[in-house]
Amino acid sequence: MLELLRRFRRPILVFALILAALLLYSANLRRGGGSTFFERSVLGLTSPLHKLIDVACKGAADTWNHYLWLIETEEENERLLKQNRWLQNELAEVDETRLENERLRKLLDFKEEVQLPTLPAQVISEDASSWFRTVIIDKGSEDGLEEGMPVVVAEGVVGRTVRVAPHQSTVLLVTDASSAVASLVQSSRTRGVCRGQGAELTLDFALRLAEIKVGDRIVTSGTGGVFPKGLVIGSVRQVVKKEYGLFQSVSVEPSVDFSRLEEVLVLLREGP
Amino acid sequence: MRWFFYFLVGLICLMVQTAIFPRFFPVHLKPDLLLILVVYLGVNEQYGRGGIAAYFLGILLDVYAGTFMGMYGMAFLVIFFVVRGTVSFFNSENPFLLLFMVFCGTLLETAMLILLGGLAKAGDVWLVIARWILPQVLLNVLVAYIIMFMLTRLQRRLPRLVIPGLSRLNENYES
Repeated sequence: MLELLRRFRRPILVFALILAALLLYSANLRRGGGSTFFERSVLGLTSPLHKLIDVACKGAADTWNHYLWLIETEEENERLLKQNRWLQNELAEVDETRLENERLRKLLDFKEEVQLPTLPAQVISEDASSWFRTVIIDKGSEDGLEEGMPVVVAEGVVGRTVRVAPHQSTVLLVTDASSAVASLVQSSRTRGVCRGQGAELTLDFALRLAEIKVGDRIVTSGTGGVFPKGLVIGSVRQVVKKEYGLFQSVSVEPSVDFSRLEEVLVLLREGP
Repeated sequence: MRWFFYFLVGLICLMVQTAIFPRFFPVHLKPDLLLILVVYLGVNEQYGRGGIAAYFLGILLDVYAGTFMGMYGMAFLVIFFVVRGTVSFFNSENPFLLLFMVFCGTLLETAMLILLGGLAKAGDVWLVIARWILPQVLLNVLVAYIIMFMLTRLQRRLPRLVIPGLSRLNENYES
């Protein structure tokens, strides 16, 4: 027996490790949502690093934009260039502040529109892989966040929180393939489910006989239990109706530009 | 010490992938540095400890990629064993061995993600993968080549620096 084990030690080891990994994966799937101790620990451990990198990258970009290109200037132009640099810097800062103000004002207007308590947060990093669509925000359970809270911007729905650590959280974007949002077409009130497709969305289960036109706005229906009713998801980009079948095929362009996410609002649950 | 080094490199790769690459790469496409590290482990490390290290790197990535804990852990473990099991069939002096392994590793990773995603009801993740698989493979191979080229240069400039496995590969990545 011992001889047999020794002879097949390697295949047994490989099989045992793969089986253990599969069992752990399966156990995690069965457990459903919620963050494990390991996830919270890793998020907690890397949180300061993320914030540090975020600040450093912004600082480096700022330095590059405002100073580096002026380093090797001619001496006789030094005074003018200094003045130019100062003005450019001021202008860039004013521009940055103006843009930030515009974004924050839009968020503030939106915050007043939404009846729920909200918490502003900053996007500090993105998903590590090319296949999934999540972002990390700089607010966590210490700030009152829980799993399953809606995340929005003025333009519309961003996603929902799926992992919450004390100081940062993971947000599953609506464009992720595993995301599904109960939705309706605003004009015709046709119901469906918006599923992520990476860059765009599809409206599934929209009845073939329902009237849906290109450009129609898609909003949350409020029946999924996560998003409140009436938040904008996107607009219809393409409608394909076949001669047969129960449903039509609808492509939806998200209203949010996910490549430019910076500030977001988390819709908190109302207290008891 | 070597395992701490792998953990540290894995953590740095993860930080670069989540916080730095998104600022430079278009849309969501980014090189998979941890996959390259796992392939490197497969070429250089033994079954037991190497497998555990690959799984650990995978679940580390799981915290920051997608929402299914253990998906990348499982995928990386399988990639490690496949690389470990097949590497002896190839000529280790071939300059394209590691790049070929990264190429195959990327394809295997996506196959594993589609399979495991199916178990987890991850929606149409295969559609996202199908759309981006070719650029992702090319990007991973290109970045693997750049990393190997830079590491071999670094090792030549710092003779005391010993990077496991590189003594065998160093001549192959020099121009």
